[in-house]
Amino acid sequence: MSSEPIERRVSYLGDRLKASRCQICGKEYFEVRDYCGSCGRKSFGKMGSIDLFYDKGKLELCTLVKEPTNKFMKLGSYVYGIVSFHNGKIRVPGRLTDQIVNDNETIDFPSLEGKDVIPRFRRRYSVGRSEVIPTISLAFTLADEYYPHQEYAVSQPGKEYDVPGIVGYGVYTSRFRIKEGNLERSVPFVDEDAVTAAVESGKLSLIHSGVGSSLVGKVYVGSESNPYAVKPISSKVAQVLKLGEEEDDVQGVDAVDTEFACKAASSMFKDAAALVNYSNSSVKYAMVIGADNSQAAPRGCPGGELDLFVGYGGSAFIFGKCDVIAEVEGWYSCTSDTPDFWRRDGESFPMHGGRFTGEPAYFKHVRMATTKLMGKLKLQANDIDYFVTHQPNPQFPVKIAKELGFKEEQYAPSLQINNFGNTYSGCSPIGLAAVLDIAKPDEHILITSYGSGAGSDAYLFRTTSQLVDKRRRQRMNVKFQAENPFVQYVDYTTYRRLKLGM
Amino acid sequence: MQNRPTIVAVGRTKFGEHYGKKPEKLIEEAWLAASRECDIERRDLEACYLSDCFLPITNKLGLEEGFLSELTELHVPMEVTRSVNAALLAACNAIQAGIYNTVLVGGIEKMTDRWDKIRDDLMLLEDPWSYYAGGTPETNHELMLRAYIKKYGISGENLNTINVALAQISVKNHFNALKNEYAQFQRKITVDQVLNARKVAQKPLGLYDYAPISDGASALILTSEALAKKITDQPVYVLGYCSATDYLNFAARDDLTHFTATKTAMKNALKMAETPLLDIKVIETYDQSTVMEMVSLEDLGFCEPGTAWKSINESCQNCKGYYEVNGNQLFVNMNGGLKADGNPLGATGGAQIFEIFKQLRGEAGERQIEKDQVPQFGCALELEGFGTKAYVSILGRE
Repeated sequence: MSSEPIERRVSYLGDRLKASRCQICGKEYFEVRDYCGSCGRKSFGKMGSIDLFYDKGKLELCTLVKEPTNKFMKLGSYVYGIVSFHNGKIRVPGRLTDQIVNDNETIDFPSLEGKDVIPRFRRRYSVGRSEVIPTISLAFTLADEYYPHQEYAVSQPGKEYDVPGIVGYGVYTSRFRIKEGNLERSVPFVDEDAVTAAVESGKLSLIHSGVGSSLVGKVYVGSESNPYAVKPISSKVAQVLKLGEEEDDVQGVDAVDTEFACKAASSMFKDAAALVNYSNSSVKYAMVIGADNSQAAPRGCPGGELDLFVGYGGSAFIFGKCDVIAEVEGWYSCTSDTPDFWRRDGESFPMHGGRFTGEPAYFKHVRMATTKLMGKLKLQANDIDYFVTHQPNPQFPVKIAKELGFKEEQYAPSLQINNFGNTYSGCSPIGLAAVLDIAKPDEHILITSYGSGAGSDAYLFRTTSQLVDKRRRQRMNVKFQAENPFVQYVDYTTYRRLKLGM
Repeated sequence: MQNRPTIVAVGRTKFGEHYGKKPEKLIEEAWLAASRECDIERRDLEACYLSDCFLPITNKLGLEEGFLSELTELHVPMEVTRSVNAALLAACNAIQAGIYNTVLVGGIEKMTDRWDKIRDDLMLLEDPWSYYAGGTPETNHELMLRAYIKKYGISGENLNTINVALAQISVKNHFNALKNEYAQFQRKITVDQVLNARKVAQKPLGLYDYAPISDGASALILTSEALAKKITDQPVYVLGYCSATDYLNFAARDDLTHFTATKTAMKNALKMAETPLLDIKVIETYDQSTVMEMVSLEDLGFCEPGTAWKSINESCQNCKGYYEVNGNQLFVNMNGGLKADGNPLGATGGAQIFEIFKQLRGEAGERQIEKDQVPQFGCALELEGFGTKAYVSILGRE
């Protein structure tokens, strides 16, 4: 679409599926309207807004699209139909996403019709490489498959803690996996990218925390696979998730993207914690997202060695001082200019420093940040319940954990590389989420991230009793996604195609 | 009705692919055919009402009126609508108001010039939200069929019957087009071919259920009743005409099984024409798909809702070229319909009027519905978008 105002208008309505309801006659419209067509002038000012973002709909009717219009070609064949909300009061067109329909597959339309579906935020269709990437939530997945419907129940801020910490988190990995040996890696569907993963994980963190989105005053999105060289992911996240107070289609939130290879998100944990802890700050909550469609050249090409381990996914952590589930007890960061992994502007894939990425890069920085933090806090390895670190491959985190004196039971729960691959900015945070999923109150978690370039951030968290209370709010936890029976495996060629996107 | 708008001549081109012809060449051909028929010169025209659905997009043309002015050296008022029946409606209003006595109504479309992008264009114009969600020009038709089957509880053997009935519509239209020298497809097809195409597509409807994309033009000359009587012995009056509008987005409409706009337009057109429905023997429906022809028979009032497929199936066991509804013969799309005659959007309505005009004058040759008794009334239904607009024109002779 060439017109920026049209694109903005369609995105504004379509990304979050905004609707209106006439408070006089109850008629509902999929659009933001000033008045009701049935009631006319008297309904001015009496139109309530309806939000369908966390709602679930019903697939009323469907058919198969085998010959899409040009812009949808890369989706291949897909099921398309009409989805209703609120017992048919609102009906919208939509396609089913996260489904690979094979050439000779017969779709039984009546068996799909009547099923519950969930609106998903995705890329809308293909556009030229120089254009704005259009997005929409008129893409749906079946509620009884990989991604369950979850209510977003906002709760008022309760107990205030002395120190800031994590108040909720969300992890999103896609339904598709490639399996090679023992290693499973998350593969985006063709309409997914770092932006959609960022929004999904942010959405899941709001659901888990119960924090009202309008109270989030700052959002950081760390990624090295932003589909734009210039244009933040965080602006999309802020708009779609309605972060901060909304006025005149503008969100009262500070949004910024960060980049430092795989530590782009973890680096901001301390900034988020410090910001919510600053007494004059009006920022009650700050959200830190790490999301990547981890980039790698095809195997056999320069940089192709990364292709063995890259995954796709996102994590989001909300920091605040109320209803904390894990307090930040301390941190230590270190940096050196060590170019072990880089991507020049305009290049499609990053380059990799080979054996140079091990000792002088990953091990040196993780070791230093971890030991410095432990020294600062006067802790021994056995004072810590769980150790989490960056997982660029299955061997590195185990090797450094053992060297630092951690036992298998301390580091193993965080190892998610075998489930999802290296999700770059989302990688060590997903490990942290996996630990928070199972930790008990009053336990110590040490996380040390690593970002090529190079640097590490080490944090010590201490869990609280609210960790267990909030757990029931989130079904989409790490284990649920790792062991989900609806995971679909794809071959190498499909994996490359899906990863390339629309 | 005072001062009835009257059609004195019609003309058209063959529909299909006109690779080598410029768009303005096509309308010239149609206009010349009509003007020859009634001996009206271009200087007699007081206004032109033309239509094209998206010629500026498909052919990157500027103001179509300018091309025509250059071609004809005419400087009269010219207006462009999106369908011939819309142009006809505006022209009828002007004639009735006594503003003009002689006007040209015509339409043109050249879709094949943009074959590689035409489906995106069609869908974006038809229903943008559906397009954004991944819809194609076929999906709304298929969803309407799914809705119809569910609403009327069609299952088991009946499901087979309705599928065959829809195929019979296409077979009938191809059969009729065999006798139409202007038709895009003059080729007989069988029910099995239609059904097999659906199997290949793995969808409720297949290749033979849909009208093609086409190039073509059509024209007619409309005059006041008094003037018509001086020009021709066989004037055809536009007795009733009306349009109605519905939501752009198909999914949002209240009724997913029928076109509300058609029902409204037909009701009002019948009232204006003061003609009993059952006196209308020959109709042209807008069969962009076989489903559209089926539901249009119900929307126009010829069949009860949810029953058209039965009547079609019963009367098409041996293809006779017409339907039997409650014992009455109903001749539908004698030119082959959009399916076989072709569907150059902006010109299609002109081909519909062309056919009704010829039938009412007994000039339809081999296609003439009853050789011994020429029909008195006919009706054309034209849709824009997926039933977003419906135009009904009821024609009649003395």
